Amino acid sequence: MIAVQQVTKKFPSVVALDNVTLEIKEREFFGLLGPNGAGKTTLMSLIVGYLNADEGTISIDGKAVSQDNLKIKGEIGFVPQSLALYDELSALDNLEMFGRLHPGVESKVLHERIRERLHAVGLYERRKDKVKSFSGGMKRRLNMIASMLHDPNIMLFDEPTVGVDPQSRNAIFDFLESLNHQGKTIVYTTHYMEEAERLCNRIAIIDHGNIIALGTTDELLDKLPYDETVVIVKNPSTLEQQNTFSEFGILLEEDDHFELKPKNGFTLSKFFTRIEEKGLKYQWIELHRPTLEALFLQLTGRRLRD
Amino acid sequence: MFIFGSIFAGGDSVPQGIPIAVLNRSNSDVAKRIVSTLDTMKAFQVVDSMRDDLGKVVPFDTNSIKEYVRKGKATAGIVFPVDAYTDTSVALDLKFYYDPKNEIEMQTVDGLVEQAVFSHFPSIIAQSGFQQARKFLGTDSGQAFNRGIASLVGKYFKIDTNVFLNPDRWVTARSDSDTARASSNFMNNIVRIDKEQVVGEKLKNQWATRSIGGWALTFLLFALTASSSSLFDERKSGVMLRILTSPVSRVHILWSKYLFNMSLAIIQLLFMFVVGWLMFQVDIFSNFLNLMLIILSASIACTSFGMLLAALSKTRQQANGLGTLLILTMSAIGGAWFPTFLMPSAIQFFSKLTFVYWAMDGFLQVLWRGVGTMDILPHIGILLGIGAVINVISVWQFKRGDIFS
Repeated sequence: MIAVQQVTKKFPSVVALDNVTLEIKEREFFGLLGPNGAGKTTLMSLIVGYLNADEGTISIDGKAVSQDNLKIKGEIGFVPQSLALYDELSALDNLEMFGRLHPGVESKVLHERIRERLHAVGLYERRKDKVKSFSGGMKRRLNMIASMLHDPNIMLFDEPTVGVDPQSRNAIFDFLESLNHQGKTIVYTTHYMEEAERLCNRIAIIDHGNIIALGTTDELLDKLPYDETVVIVKNPSTLEQQNTFSEFGILLEEDDHFELKPKNGFTLSKFFTRIEEKGLKYQWIELHRPTLEALFLQLTGRRLRD
Repeated sequence: MFIFGSIFAGGDSVPQGIPIAVLNRSNSDVAKRIVSTLDTMKAFQVVDSMRDDLGKVVPFDTNSIKEYVRKGKATAGIVFPVDAYTDTSVALDLKFYYDPKNEIEMQTVDGLVEQAVFSHFPSIIAQSGFQQARKFLGTDSGQAFNRGIASLVGKYFKIDTNVFLNPDRWVTARSDSDTARASSNFMNNIVRIDKEQVVGEKLKNQWATRSIGGWALTFLLFALTASSSSLFDERKSGVMLRILTSPVSRVHILWSKYLFNMSLAIIQLLFMFVVGWLMFQVDIFSNFLNLMLIILSASIACTSFGMLLAALSKTRQQANGLGTLLILTMSAIGGAWFPTFLMPSAIQFFSKLTFVYWAMDGFLQVLWRGVGTMDILPHIGILLGIGAVINVISVWQFKRGDIFS
C-alpha cells in the first residue's frame, strides 16, 4: 500500500502540493486526474523518490520513500511523461542499459524479460533499430517497458498517452489493464477524464496542489447535483437558442454539440416544455451520464483542459 | 585573439627571469664583466650555486652545472674555464650547455648570451692594447697613440671610439648600436663558444617530443567538456529522471560520469602519444611507466575540470562557451602552445596555478628529459591536488545547482 500523509512540496514560485493525504491500495488501478500544473507529476516524483517532500511522509508497505532509499526505488517502476530514451542507441541497447540499473536482475533473466516485453508491445522486430527511427507511438511503448524490466509490483505512469495516436493509445490501455490483471498496482496520471474513467478503479482529482475529490467514478459522480447531462446537437436553430439553454444550467460549447450541466431545481419536463416553445426538435436533444469533466467543472468552475 | 592579446600584451617587450647557470673558473676581467652583464640583464636570472643532496648550498663545478641544466633547473649553463682568457690568449673560450626543451626560448637565450659576450669583448681587447701602449710610450705619447689607433679603428669598423677611450662606457655598450654589431662581426673568429646540447640530443624528433603533450591536452579538454555536458542532454530528455527513479543515487551518477570521462581521457591521451610514436617517432616506450603516471594524473585533473564546467553551467551551450574560454586561456597561459617565458611575470605566476602547466611540464620531464618517478612526484601530487580541489567545488556546486531536478 502506498500511503501519502500530509505531504507538502514547495518550489520557489509555487506550492505544488499542499497537505495532500491519500492511500493507494495493493493491486489497485489508481488515477490522478487534473489539469496541467495541478501537481500530479510532483506527487508522482515524490512517490518514486525523485524528490523529497518538504513536509509529511510517503511510505510503501510501511517503508519510507526518499531520495536516499535506493531499496524502495528498486521496487517501483516509473514511466516518465517524457520519452526518456537514448535516441542514438537501438531499442535493445536502451533496454539493456536501463535494465542494468537494477542490480538484483540477473543478466539471463534480464535478456529474457527484454525479449518478452518487446514481443508484448510489438517492437521485437525493430529491436536493433535506433530509437530515433521510431514513431511517437513506438517510442511511447519502448518508454514504458524500459521501466518494468525489474518486474516491479508498483508501477507509476505519468501521462503515458501524450502525443499518441488513438490506435496506439488503445494498445497502451490494453497493456496497462493486462498488467493490472497480473496483480500490479498501477498509478496513472492524466488530464483526460475519459482515460481515467475507462481505466481506474479509484480516482483522485487534483487541482492547485490539493486533492479536491477522491473515490470510484460512481462515488465521484454522485457528488454532482444532477444525474444526467443534456447534450444538444449544434445547428443554426440551437445556436440561436444558447441563452434559452443557459437558463437551465451551465452550457458548454464543444465542436459539434452543446453540453448543459443542469443547475439545482432542474427538471426535464420544464426543459422540454421550453424546447417545444422555441420550436426545437426533440431528436436534437440527448441525455447522457455525467462525466468527471462535469464534476471538475462543478468543483472548480473550470474545465479540465483550460 | 582577445585571450592571446591579454596574455602576451602588457608586459615588457623582452622575456624575463630565464634561469641560466654560470660557472666562472677564470680570473680574467673579461669573464667577470660578461658574468656581470648577464647578471644585470632582466631576461636572465643568473644562478651560480645549487643545493646538494643534504640541502647545503654549494657552488657549481663542471659536472654539477651540466647536471643542473640536464635536470631542467636552468635553460642554459655557461662555463668559463680556467684558461678562458689569459694575458697571452688570442681568443675567449667558453662552454655553453643548453636544453632546447623549448625552441623559441632556447633561440632567445642563445641570442642574448652571444649579445652579452660580443658586446663587451671588442672594448676590452681594444683597451688592453691601449694600456700596453701607455706602458711602453708614456702617458702623453700613449694617449696620442691611442687616439690615433681609435680613430683608425673607428673609421674602418664604424665604431664609436669614445667607448674605447672612456672606461665608464665599457659596460653600458649596447648590442643594438652600430658599435656592437661591428664588434660582433669583428670578433666572430676570436670568441669561441663551444655549445653542447645536454638534453634530448638523441631524440629522433625533438619538435614532436616537445609539442605533443600540449596538443594532446588541448584536444582532451575539449573532448571532456563535450562528454561532461551529456548530463544536460540526459536531463532534457528525461533519462536523468528515469535513472534517478531507479536504485541509483546522485553520487552514483557523478561517479559513473567521472570514471567514464577519466577512462576516455586516459585512452585519448594514450592514443595521441601512440600516434606521435607512429607518425613522428616520439619515443614513448623508454619511460613508459612514468608517462602513464603523468597521463593518469593529467586525466584526473582534466576530468575534474570537465565536471566543474557541467556543475557551473545551466545548459550545454553555456558549458561549451565557458569551456572554450577557459580551455583557450589555460592552454595559452599554461604553456601548451607558447613558452611561458614570453609572458609578463604576473601571467607566469598564474600559469603555475593551472593544471595544464603541470601536465605539460610532466610530459616534458618524462619524454624530453627521461626523468624517473621521484622527479615527477611533485607533478603528480600537484595534478592530483588540483583535481581534488576542483572535485570538491564541483560536488558542492552540483548540490546547489539544478542538474538533478
